[in-house]
Amino acid sequence: MGDKRITRRDFIRGAAVTGAGLVAASCAPAAEETPTEVPKEKIVVGMSRPLSGPLQVIGDSAFGPIYNRWVQEVNDAGGIYVEEYGKSLPIELKIYDDTSDVGTAVRLTEKLILEDKVDFLWPACGTAFIYAQAPIANKYGYILLTMEGGGTTITPMLPSLPYIFLSLSFSDWYELPVLADLLGEKGAKTAYVSYIADLHGIEYSAVAGIEFPKRGIEIVGLKSLPPDIKDLAPVINLAKASEADVFCCFAYPDQIMPAVGTSMGLGYNPKAWVGGPGVNFGFFQAAFGPAAEGLIGFTTFARGSSPELAAFADMLYADLPLEAQDWWGHPLYWAALETWKAAIEKAGTLNQDAIRDVLATETFDTILGPTWYENGLLAKDAHPGEIGQWINGVFEVVGPKDKATAEFVYPKPEWPAPPEE
Amino acid sequence: MLGARTTWTLQLTGINPFLALAVCGPLAFILGFILHRTLFRYLLSSSETSDIFEANSMLASFGLFFVIQNLALIAWGPEIRGYTYLAFPVEIAGALFGANRLVTAGFAIVIGTAFYLFLARTRMGKAIRSAAQDPTTAGLMGVNINHVLALCFGLGAGLAAIAGMLISMVYPVHGVMGLEYTVIAIIVVVLGGLGSIPGSFIGGFLLGIIGSIVTYIDPGLSLVAYYLIFTILLLVRPTGIMGK
Repeated sequence: MGDKRITRRDFIRGAAVTGAGLVAASCAPAAEETPTEVPKEKIVVGMSRPLSGPLQVIGDSAFGPIYNRWVQEVNDAGGIYVEEYGKSLPIELKIYDDTSDVGTAVRLTEKLILEDKVDFLWPACGTAFIYAQAPIANKYGYILLTMEGGGTTITPMLPSLPYIFLSLSFSDWYELPVLADLLGEKGAKTAYVSYIADLHGIEYSAVAGIEFPKRGIEIVGLKSLPPDIKDLAPVINLAKASEADVFCCFAYPDQIMPAVGTSMGLGYNPKAWVGGPGVNFGFFQAAFGPAAEGLIGFTTFARGSSPELAAFADMLYADLPLEAQDWWGHPLYWAALETWKAAIEKAGTLNQDAIRDVLATETFDTILGPTWYENGLLAKDAHPGEIGQWINGVFEVVGPKDKATAEFVYPKPEWPAPPEE
Repeated sequence: MLGARTTWTLQLTGINPFLALAVCGPLAFILGFILHRTLFRYLLSSSETSDIFEANSMLASFGLFFVIQNLALIAWGPEIRGYTYLAFPVEIAGALFGANRLVTAGFAIVIGTAFYLFLARTRMGKAIRSAAQDPTTAGLMGVNINHVLALCFGLGAGLAAIAGMLISMVYPVHGVMGLEYTVIAIIVVVLGGLGSIPGSFIGGFLLGIIGSIVTYIDPGLSLVAYYLIFTILLLVRPTGIMGK
């Protein structure tokens, strides 16, 4: 074997030749790019949804009937026209089960963005979920139009989350200020507030603590409820003992329905009984029938709001049972999806930044009428209503007064009398 | 869950929830009996030891749980359902109680007592108890083990359906309601002592009373109290209140 040592001269010569080669290569004209992208045939939308677990009921009742119906309608019409591709693209949903677990929803959101590389994200279900999901979507520059969930906590963060748009109305946007106005005008003086021990309950009870005293309503009792609570009798007994004019249960149907049943069973009939989400669903009326009369919840519309909204209700609920109706979320979710589609068509591209700019600045024509976003929130002036009440078997809008479809009933009627044997 | 859902469906047609008992209980019994005579008997015959059978049957039970739950979701949908029945106050010694709660409590006591008498005073009850204590010896003494075990499984399913019927009178009904009550039931049974019906009675009342008191103070601590009692009891008396 010969002695082939590399001298300093050999090394400098080699380095010089390599460097010259690199310089020459970088100065050469760029090779013409060959198109490698597969032609775009569909818009893939990723979702982390509670297909199982405690939030499954909310997920399936609230947004469920909307996105299935809406996607079907859009696809039946050929899809969304995207100028960049010169054609309409159908929507394909890619849905994972987050098992009603926030941590899982967060992981799935990142998977949808990084591994599946979906074109768009649609939201998870629940206040805490969208609170956790929003920073991730924003970090990767994905637009997130949230649906089921409040935003009191996330609202101050919205200036730093330009890709996040909240569609649902919530506690201080603009439900509880309207509720407090209604109750204050009727002379309510005291309130007992129970709330679910999660972000939804915390937000609503906190805003009630601000808005009620402004109208002279003193909060005489405050009780948090664990999600797995079964027996609400001790809480209802405490509320009854407080003799408060108003009883609030800011929780979910799993807590609100037994709370109503227990109130009836213990003969507790405050002047106003407020619960949500839950009271706004058709299944509430189906379960309680005449006993639901006078119960107050959060809402967006009633058939009396406008002929357009009446037609929307007829269209949406024609093939659905009473239990599937949601007078609070459904129109807002539908309108939000309409704004999303309109923004894509206006931008003419699937580029998130371009669509975001359209969403943030334009006014859209939706089932609500003119609809726009104010600092990331669907404008409250676009809401057809905030507070609802079951009156003669219909969940009417009672507040704000200029959008009411019926007169606010205060005090609420007595519970139905026991059957006489 | 099946009992609660069936009761809800029947009351839509105007059938009184208590009359639904006549449908839910026997149907669930038959379902349980058939399940044991088919699935669990197969597992029993194919398992080499009782340990393997226990492990396999637990896995099979969880599998069945998901199958039944999802079939119910397909059949009835995911929405929460409910109805009002006897939802008015009754005053007893100055305290108000919901009539439906009093009726469900009374009914649970009657069913529990009847079941206790069945196990303690009847020939079949004695066969069930002997099969529970030592199935091999019971079999040698002439007890038809397969039949008795299937009967037990059917009775368990029937009682669960009746419990679901009673729960539906007070609480909302939905497709995924089963597991939360199962966890509480396990705590009650272990608290009372495995195999002891009076123990389960005592355990149930104890847990209910403590839960109500703690809920009165802070509802968020009720589940903590359940598990605290459970842990203390396992440390102090692992066999449960009435266990041997």
